[in-house]
Order: sequence, then structure tokens, then C-alpha cells
Amino acid sequence: MSPDAIDPAEFAHLREITGDDLEFLDELIDTYLEDGAVQLEAMRLAGDRDDAEAMIRPAHSLKSSSANVGATGLTELCRALEADARSGTIVDAAGRVGECRRAFEDVRAALLAERAARG
Amino acid sequence: MTGGRVLVVDDTAFNRRLLVRLLGSIGHEALEAEHGREALALLRDPATAPVDVILLDILMPEMDGYETLAALKADERLRDLPVIVISGVDELASVVRCIQMGATDYLPKTVDPEILRARIEASLAQKRLHDLERETLEQQARLLATIERQRSELSRFLSPQVAALVSSDDGEALLAGHRREITAMFCDLRNFTAFSEAAEPEEVLGFLRAYHGLMGPLIVEHAGTLEHFAGDGFMTFFNDPVIQPDHAARAIALAVAMRERFADLSTEWRKRGYVLEIGVGMATGFATLGRIGFEGRYDYGAIGQVIILAARLSSEAQAGEILIAHRTFAAAEALIDAEPAGERTLKGFSRPIPAYIVAGMRAAEASA
Repeated sequence: MSPDAIDPAEFAHLREITGDDLEFLDELIDTYLEDGAVQLEAMRLAGDRDDAEAMIRPAHSLKSSSANVGATGLTELCRALEADARSGTIVDAAGRVGECRRAFEDVRAALLAERAARG
Repeated sequence: MTGGRVLVVDDTAFNRRLLVRLLGSIGHEALEAEHGREALALLRDPATAPVDVILLDILMPEMDGYETLAALKADERLRDLPVIVISGVDELASVVRCIQMGATDYLPKTVDPEILRARIEASLAQKRLHDLERETLEQQARLLATIERQRSELSRFLSPQVAALVSSDDGEALLAGHRREITAMFCDLRNFTAFSEAAEPEEVLGFLRAYHGLMGPLIVEHAGTLEHFAGDGFMTFFNDPVIQPDHAARAIALAVAMRERFADLSTEWRKRGYVLEIGVGMATGFATLGRIGFEGRYDYGAIGQVIILAARLSSEAQAGEILIAHRTFAAAEALIDAEPAGERTLKGFSRPIPAYIVAGMRAAEASA
């Protein structure tokens, strides 16, 4: 697992609180990935329209679920974006959403790699 | 502690799933809603089993956490439900606002099963205490309403004094039996037996209704304890269960008032060819009072020589006469006009009994 995308300690914590039920863990990860894609799309639309208000909720949502899977880098990107969105002005919104998207793709790759490694 | 039913309100499917799963693993049943509007619909749906605790996210589409909280607090049936706000570490200002709006607690968004367990259980305990409190209050209100209903029903069947006694604190001891000086009064009608045989049943019942209608209010007015009435006769006593230091004078005043009021009724029936007159016997002395009867049918009654004496004097009384025993006379002498009526030989009494005939109350005290 790429330590850049996912914090192994945080991920181990998630695995622990699911009671090491790997099937449920996979289901949870799938939910996260589907959910994340939806939030990212909403963030993209908000960024394109430069609509700070519309950015708050999807950034907030992706931030909190990312924190729970241990995607610390993505969490921080979302946190900053949400904070700026709340202040009313986002400098280079579209660019930063793009950054989030790339981070999300790394997270997806890391999570799927972790699953593949388990066999 | 047994599990509760927890409603998870969060728009992020990932968070909802994780929470539902964790709640299940610590023994609680979880329900889900994507936002406030769905949560309220679920809570207000009569088909939904009662929820014990709500886990509420703040930032949600449709209806956010604040709006949901406000709606919950405005709903009579939902306002007491504990609400735990789910919040990120950077949202403490929002948590403060939620707690000011009535939220019970908050839960960090980065879920920790131990914290979740502790918070849910604290809220459940609070909810259960609250439910118990409300249940107790409702029970109490029902109980009080029942007692009040019984009291008002009782007072229609019993003398008001006896009804009050039954529901009073020292009622049990008094009902169990005690001795007290009372003035007992028997009143019945001369010629009633002949009348009831000669007249039509409707006439007899019509007369009795009029007679009871006249006498009943007088007994209540003079605060006599009506022990029983049967047909044309009734027995009333004074100074129990309510203490009345002037019990002898009171009883005489009642008898005089009855005789006066009966006069009109008597005149009316005389026109129809029936001669009906009242006769009263009265005695003062110690009696045993309390609950008399058997399981299923008890009366508040009086037993003793004084009762028998009053009954015998009532039988002795001529039409329109109020015949009283010596002790009654002695107790009320200053307030009444009465003449000695000789010594009477009465069944059950070895020696002749001096009796007095009451003419009326002395003018100055007539209002007593």
C-alpha cells in the first residue's frame, strides 16, 4: 500500500473497528469509492462554476469519509478546500478539485492494491 | 445495559454504514436516514418502532442538522429524544451551537468504537430515566383521576362525611371501629304501612320521592351522618365521623326542620285522602362506630343501647311528635322548648325511661 495515499496505521484502525470482517471492509471501501466519486463530481461542478457555497458539502463529506479510511493527504486537501469554501472565496477552485481527484485516484489504487494483496 | 434503537442521520453512505455496523456490534439496533427530512418522516411514521437515540450529522442536503434539531425540539413527541451530534474536530463551533439548541452530546467523526459505546449508553440511560419519569407521572395522574372519580362516586352513595372519611388519612383507623358519644335519630311516618297497602304503587313511589327529596337536603344541611334509609324511615346520627360539640341541639334542629317541611307535604296528601305524619325518636350516648357488614357489603354504622333507645322512642312518638331521651334533653335544654312526657316503659329496657317532647327551637337560637 502506498504510504503517500493511505496511512497504514489509520487503515489498520479501520480494519480493527470492523472487527476484521474483511467482507464488510471491502463493502465499506466500495461504498467509500462510489461515494467519493459522487462527491468529486459535485466538487468539479462547483469548481467550474466557481460556486463556493456548493463546494462546502461535498468537500466536507469527502473529508470525513477519507479520514475514516486513513486517506490523510486527501483529507487535508478537502479540509482546506472546505475551509476556503466556507470563507466564500476559493483561489483556483478548479485546479484544487483536480488535485483532490488525483489524490482520490491514488487512494483508490492503494485501497484496491491492499485488497489484491490480501488475495 | 440492553440495546437500544439508534437512528443514524448522515448523508455520507460510508459514514452511515460504518456507524450502523459498529452500533450492531455493540448490541444496538440501527436505523438510517440520509438527511433530516427523511429522519423526521421516519420518526413520525407510526409504523416505525420507537427510537431511543439519534446520531445526527450537521452538514446534510435537504435538511441539515440545525434544522433537524430545531424541528425535533418543536415536536412535542420527539423533543425529549437524546440527540448526539456527529462532528469533525474542526467543527467545535457547530457542536456548541447544537448543544445550545438542545443536543445532548457529540461524537467525533473519526469513529472510535469505545467512545461511541460510551456516548450511546449515556444517552440511553438518560432516555430511559426520562421515559420512566414520564411513565411514573402519567401513572400518578391516572391514579389521582381514579381516586377523584371514586371519591365523587362514593359521595353519591354514602353520607358525604363517610365518603370523606374513607379517603382520609386516619380513615382506616376510624373504620376499624371506635367508641364515641353520638346523638342518634330515627324518623318514620305514622300510617305509612296502611297508606302503602291502600295506595297505588305509583302513588307510593311518587310520595317517597317527594318525601326523600324534602328530607335528604335537610340532613345534608344539618351535617347529619345518614346511616341508612328504608322506605319511610331513616336513621341519622351526629358527632361522628365529624366531631360536632352541639350534636344534640343539631339533631333536634334537624327534627324540627323536618317536621316543618313535612307539614306541606302532609297537607297535600291529606287532600288525597291519606293521613301521613312524621314521628321522631332521639337519644344521646356512647356507641361503637365503624365498618359493619361483611366482605362485599359494608356500611358505616353505629351499634349500642343509644341506637335501640332512639328507635324505641321513635316507635313511641305520636303523629308529629319529636320524642327525646333525657341525655339529649339535658345537652340541648338551653336551646329548645321541650316538655317532660313522662316515663316510658320500653322493650329491652328494664327501667322506665324519662322522655321529653320537643315543641321547637328557642327563638334566639332557632337559626342553629
